[in-house]
Amino acid sequence: MAAPGVTGGSPGVGAPAQGAPYAVELRGITKRFPGVVANRNIELRVRRGEVHAIVGENGAGKSTLMKTLYGMHRPDEGTILLDGREVTFRSPADAIDAGIGMVHQHFMLADNFTVLENIVLGSEPTRGGRLDLAEGRRRIREISERYALDLDPDELVEHLGVGDRQRVEIAKVLYRGATTLILDEPTAVLVPQEVDELFGNLAELKREGLTVIFISHKLDEVRKVADSITVIRRGTTVGEADPKTTTARQLAEMMVGSELPSPETRTSTVRDVVVLELRGVTVATPGGRPAVDDVSFAVREGEVVGIAGVEGNGQAELVDAVMGLRPLAAGSVLLGDQDITAWSTRARREAAFGFIPEDRHRQGMLLEGTLWENRILGHQTRPPAAKGWFIDRKAARADTERIMKDYDVRAPGPDTLAVALSGGNQQKLIVGREMESSPRLLVAAHPTRGVDVGAQAAIWELLKDARAEGMAILLISADLDELIGLSDTLHVMLRGRLVATLDPGSCTPEQLGGHMTGAHGTAGAA
Amino acid sequence: MNLLRRLGPALLAPVLAVVVALVISSAVMAALAVNPFDVFGVMLDFGATPIQQVTAMVVIVNRAIPLFLAGLAVAIAFRMGLFNIGVEGQYRLATIVAAAVGAAVSLPAPLHIGLIVVVAVVVAAFWAGIVAVLKVTRGVSEVLSSILLNFIALVTASYLLTGPFRGSLPGASIISTAEIPASGQMPGLNGIFDVFGLANPPRQLYGFLLVAAVVGILIAVLLNRTRFGFDLKASGMSPSAASASGVNARSMVIKTMLLSGAVAGLIGLPDLLGNTHKYTTDFTAGLGFLGIAVALLGRNKPLGIAFAALLFAFLDRSLVPLQIANYPSSVVTIVQGTIVLAVVVANEIARRVARRSAAGGTAAPADGPASGDGSTGVVPTPPPGSTDQRQGAQA
Repeated sequence: MAAPGVTGGSPGVGAPAQGAPYAVELRGITKRFPGVVANRNIELRVRRGEVHAIVGENGAGKSTLMKTLYGMHRPDEGTILLDGREVTFRSPADAIDAGIGMVHQHFMLADNFTVLENIVLGSEPTRGGRLDLAEGRRRIREISERYALDLDPDELVEHLGVGDRQRVEIAKVLYRGATTLILDEPTAVLVPQEVDELFGNLAELKREGLTVIFISHKLDEVRKVADSITVIRRGTTVGEADPKTTTARQLAEMMVGSELPSPETRTSTVRDVVVLELRGVTVATPGGRPAVDDVSFAVREGEVVGIAGVEGNGQAELVDAVMGLRPLAAGSVLLGDQDITAWSTRARREAAFGFIPEDRHRQGMLLEGTLWENRILGHQTRPPAAKGWFIDRKAARADTERIMKDYDVRAPGPDTLAVALSGGNQQKLIVGREMESSPRLLVAAHPTRGVDVGAQAAIWELLKDARAEGMAILLISADLDELIGLSDTLHVMLRGRLVATLDPGSCTPEQLGGHMTGAHGTAGAA
Repeated sequence: MNLLRRLGPALLAPVLAVVVALVISSAVMAALAVNPFDVFGVMLDFGATPIQQVTAMVVIVNRAIPLFLAGLAVAIAFRMGLFNIGVEGQYRLATIVAAAVGAAVSLPAPLHIGLIVVVAVVVAAFWAGIVAVLKVTRGVSEVLSSILLNFIALVTASYLLTGPFRGSLPGASIISTAEIPASGQMPGLNGIFDVFGLANPPRQLYGFLLVAAVVGILIAVLLNRTRFGFDLKASGMSPSAASASGVNARSMVIKTMLLSGAVAGLIGLPDLLGNTHKYTTDFTAGLGFLGIAVALLGRNKPLGIAFAALLFAFLDRSLVPLQIANYPSSVVTIVQGTIVLAVVVANEIARRVARRSAAGGTAAPADGPASGDGSTGVVPTPPPGSTDQRQGAQA
């Protein structure tokens, strides 16, 4: 376990050796919720002017900790010190006054407002009681220049790309005078090139003496950008690590406390039997370019076909088309040699389809339902859920308990509400229930999105085992390592079309990213 | 402990709502210079003699039966997030057609009653089915279409009553359909008072009570124990997740509205079969709208609806005694109105409390910073279609 460059979690007292107090120091923070201790004895020390990464599994307590620091709730024990002074936050407003700003993972911007309007919203500059946009514009220009954010205050947000929007969010926090920025999984929505830009911005912030707390579970990125790293496991800090001397693997092992597998699958298990075939599938959008445009490919037994692409290029519509959730404008879907274009979603599910949806809260779960209800969701017409026209509650509960055990879903019991589970545990339940029905085809859309390293590894293992047993898997993902590691065949989707077919054995994330953004043109198009 | 924890949130909201409603209506009464305690005294006074007391209870139960069925009809649709505001029109139209058919035929007793029930159910389901078809084919909001169909149903019922189905003599003060013959009348249940040694009042306890109880149990089983019920519940909780699980949203809308309408068709029958034996101009109105309140108060659960119906029936019974005691009978309407208002608020509060305690006290980002506090939050909820893995991530 002990890795080079890793210091133990022993609490240091007071200020760093140089004498300047820490920008942010948390001492012995404990936060309990009914029935669980979300944070236990957290020790965190962040120096002024550094990028400090906090890594840990989802459900490890990162978000609870950040909410404590951002004043969204108060800790039961422990103290928060800013620049050596003890502070108490009653609300986020207090935290903002103290110079702490939060950039949420999901952008909270109004599309039909300009950059300027979005940034000043909530703290509008006024002169004589009237909105003073000129002053706001001046300050935003100043911020943009100072931190090289490259923002045009009068651009409409709807015209901006993901990376630009993120910079608007950062500017918004800076506009409110933040000196310590919390970035919650900021790279989850970015392609590699955008990640590099973000890191450039962070360097600017650091140069100007600001402090950045960077939450992530992408360890390579963390090592690239952070000056120091604090690892959280099961609600408590397990230690600090120096990114220069610690490998990603060592970090990951600190996070989960065990050794990890990788997504790579080595030997090919592809058989000849075609399970799913798409022929010229086109999905129309009301007035406009088709969302999916003349897409054809096949998935064979024992094969993982990966679909790469920047989000919003038709992958979601493609998944809907395969699952029968969206009508086709043209083309056909075949299961084996049977045309199933006209089949309902239920017929497809009953026949052979497993489905791990992209957005588990929207399509995969009944958040206000119990775990056993979620276990049978999508399988409510088959045993063990159904007994004739009736739902067999007893069998469903028993089977839920079994899945919870086999797939390591951590929850009190089958009658727990799904909303009470962490994202990783929700996803494990979904993966478990879909695997248990032994589908011939598994449509897995972002199967490890937002789950921790441990769950991610477990899900990868399951997909690999299923592939080895002959399951056909259609994998849609934004995680390029996952796509390259798991896929036997890799298609790139851009503006609704398959623009390239790559060999996952020989392509790098950078090459793949280039194809996804269209930078490589259509070289090697399918 | 376990039972209390399970029932706690379920009971909290309605009890809170009723208490708040009593406080508010007391304040209104006080403002009108009426002593609220005197009014409540009158409401609780069931009479001096045993026969009066039993009569009062029969009145309450007889009133509760149609209210229960109305609440049930509304709740079935509510469960999948459909608002069947059209229960009023559905049962009125169903009752007059059933009354006319019942008066026109002559059959052996059980068959005769059965035919009347079937006609009422079919007519109301048909009327509700129009709403469903409009929704799935043309995307018309069921709220709009069912309200508008209410007007059409009421006008149609008036036309039928004064025109083709008229059974009363010309010039009669109350226009009615012809009377259903004895074979189509449902006997009362007053025998049970003798069994329990209670005073047997002249007023008949509706035999339809048994039908309502059976319907209530069947609906409870259907909603909670069957695949159909699961699909319905899933559709109500998350239409997108239900579709992804293979539920056909369109056919669910149609099935649910037909079922809701079918139950709505029964609402007028307790009075028709047990008391009036004909549809008249002054036939009980407004049950469809009260049904919405009853369903809300009963939290869409058959047992809860039964209690809510009894409460509303209790309030309705006090209308006459209040007038006799020279108090404004609108007190009852005020109480009922404030209950509805309070229950909507209380349900939402209870839902949040339950959700928050389930989420291990984890405030979702949406509950945390409101816009304007200087956080980056402008839109309080994450955009649809995004995966909010942070929500409830700590438990």
